[in-house]
Amino acid sequence: MPMDPRKGVFAGDSNTSILVRAGSRIALISETHSWAYLLLLPSFLLVLAVLIYPVGSGILLSFREMRLTRPDLGTPFIGLRHYRELWSDPVFHISLVNTTIWALVGTTAQFVCGLISALALNRGLHRLLPGMRLARVLILLPWVMPSVVAGHMWALMLDSRLGVINDMLVRVGLLDRYMAFFADPQTALPAVLVVSTWGAFPFFTLFYLAALQGIPDDLYEAAGVDGAGLWLQFRHITWPMLVPIVVATIVLRMIGMVNAPDLLLVLTGGGPGHATQVLSLFAFQKAYAEFDFGYAAAVSVVMMLMLMAFTVVYVRISGVTKE
Amino acid sequence: MPPSQRRLDRSLDLFTGLLVLAFVAFCLFPLGWTLLTSLKPEADIVTATLQYIPQHVTLENYVTLWQQSDFPTLVTNSVVVTSITGLICLTIGTLAAYSFSRYRFRGRGKLLIFYLVIRMFPVVLMIIPLFIMMRNLGLLDSRFGLALAYTTFLLPLCIWMLKGFFDAIPLELEEAARIDGCTRLGALVRVVLPLARSGLVTTAVFVAIVAWNEFLFAMMMTTSQGSRTWPVGLQLMVGEFQLPWGPLSAGGILSIIPIIIFFALVQQSLIRGLTAGAVKG
Repeated sequence: MPMDPRKGVFAGDSNTSILVRAGSRIALISETHSWAYLLLLPSFLLVLAVLIYPVGSGILLSFREMRLTRPDLGTPFIGLRHYRELWSDPVFHISLVNTTIWALVGTTAQFVCGLISALALNRGLHRLLPGMRLARVLILLPWVMPSVVAGHMWALMLDSRLGVINDMLVRVGLLDRYMAFFADPQTALPAVLVVSTWGAFPFFTLFYLAALQGIPDDLYEAAGVDGAGLWLQFRHITWPMLVPIVVATIVLRMIGMVNAPDLLLVLTGGGPGHATQVLSLFAFQKAYAEFDFGYAAAVSVVMMLMLMAFTVVYVRISGVTKE
Repeated sequence: MPPSQRRLDRSLDLFTGLLVLAFVAFCLFPLGWTLLTSLKPEADIVTATLQYIPQHVTLENYVTLWQQSDFPTLVTNSVVVTSITGLICLTIGTLAAYSFSRYRFRGRGKLLIFYLVIRMFPVVLMIIPLFIMMRNLGLLDSRFGLALAYTTFLLPLCIWMLKGFFDAIPLELEEAARIDGCTRLGALVRVVLPLARSGLVTTAVFVAIVAWNEFLFAMMMTTSQGSRTWPVGLQLMVGEFQLPWGPLSAGGILSIIPIIIFFALVQQSLIRGLTAGAVKG
C-alpha cells in the first residue's frame, strides 16, 4: 500500500518525536516550487560568506592602509597609493617577470610531460602491455603529494652536500662538482620548476588519458586503412579531439601556478636575492611576515587582473567557444 | 597484417613500455629516496660517500619524530580539520549538487559557471580578509575556523564532482519511488544517496586529501599548537642551519601513508569523477 508521509504530519499523535515531525515538515516543503532554491541556499550563503565577501573586501582593502603592526595608522582610504608604490617597487617588477616565466615555462613543461605520458599510457593500455594499469595509478601519485613533503623530498635530493641527484650527475659526468641548485640565482628557478613539473604533470596525464580513451577506435582503423601514419593520425584525429580539454586544463593549471606559492615558500622563500620571487609569494610574505595587509591586497588584485586577462585572451585565441 | 606492420607495432610497444617506465621512475624516485633516507641513522645520511642502500636499517627517526616533536598533536589537529571540512563540504555540497542535477531553474547555468569561475580568485587575496574575518569572529587559530576557510576552494569543486555522480543516476528510479508515495526528500534520502554512495565516498576522499595537504591557509591562520596542522609543523621543524633530514623524511613518509591508502582505494572512481567533463568534451 502506498504510504503518504503527509498524513503523519497532522495526525496529531502526541508521541511523534520532534525529529520525525521536523522531517515530515521538510518533506512537505520538498514538494514546493522553492525546493530547488532551498537546496542551493546553504552553499550559496557559505560561498557568499567565505568567498565573495573576502574577495570583495580584499579588493577594497587594496585601496586602504592596513598594517597590523601599526594600529596607530588606522585603516584610512588612500586611493591608488599602493598601486603607485607597486609601480616603483623593484621587487614587484622582478616578481612580475618571474611570475610570467614561472607560469609559462612551468605549465608548458607540465603539459608536454602530461601529453606524452598520456599518449604512452593510452597505447600501452590499448595494446594490453603488462603493468600499464599499475603504471596509470603510480604516475598519478606525485599529484596527490602535499607540497611540503614534495618540497622536502626534492630539497634533500638536490642538496649541495648530501644530494643524490648531485651524486648521480657527477658519476655520469654531467657535472664536475656538486651544485647548490637552490642557492645559485641561475639554477634556483629552473630547479623549482623541475619540482613543480614532477608534482603537477600528472594532472594533465589524468585528463588527457581520460579524453584519449573516449576517442572511438574505428576512427583510427579507418585512418589506418586509408594509409595514414601515426603522425597524421595524431594530427587529424587525436589532436582535434583533445583541443577543448587542452584549453581547459591549461587555463586551470595557469591559475594554479600563478596562485600557489607553496613550493617556492618551502624551497627557496623567494631567494637567493629575489631570483625566485613571484607575485603570490610576494603578497603572502607581505601579509604573513610584514602584516602589511593593504599592500599585499594590492599585489593580489594585480595577480587576479593578470589571470583574468590571460584567460579571456587565451580562450578567444584558441577559439574553443566558437562551436 | 603484413609482417612489416607487426614489426613496427612490436618496436613501438617496446618504446611505449620504456617511456612509461621512465615516467614511473621519475614519479616514484623521490618517494623511494625519502623512504630510504627515513630508515638511515643520522650518521649515514650526513656522510661524505652517499649510501644508496641503507647499511644500518633503523626506525630511530620515526621514534624521534613521534617522541620529540609534537607530531601526534599535529596529526590529531589535521584529522579534526580534515573531518570538519569533509562534513561541511559533503552535506552542503550534496544538497546543492542534487539541485543542480535534478532541477532546471532560472539562473542554473549561470550559477554553475559562477561556481567554476571563482577558482580564479587568488588564494592570497582571500586569505587576508578571511584572516581579519576569523579574527573578528574569534575563529582565528581554531580548527573549525581553518576548516571553514578550506571550504572556500573545496566546496565549489565538491559541488561539481557530486553533480557528475548524481547525473549518472537514472531519473526513472526516483520517479518510481515518487509514484510509490515517496516525497522528494524521501526519494533523495532513500533512493539517490544510497545509489550515489561510491560517488560520495570518492568526493569525500578527494576533499580529505586536499584538506590534509593544505599548507598556505594553515600557515597563515594557525599560530599555536592547539590548531596547527602537520604540514605547518613539519615546515617549522626546518631549523636555520642544520636540517633534521632523518625525522623530516620520517614525517613525510608518515603523513603520505594515509593519502596513498585512500587514493589506492578510490582511484578508479576518483579518476572518473574528476574527468567526467573531459570525456564528454
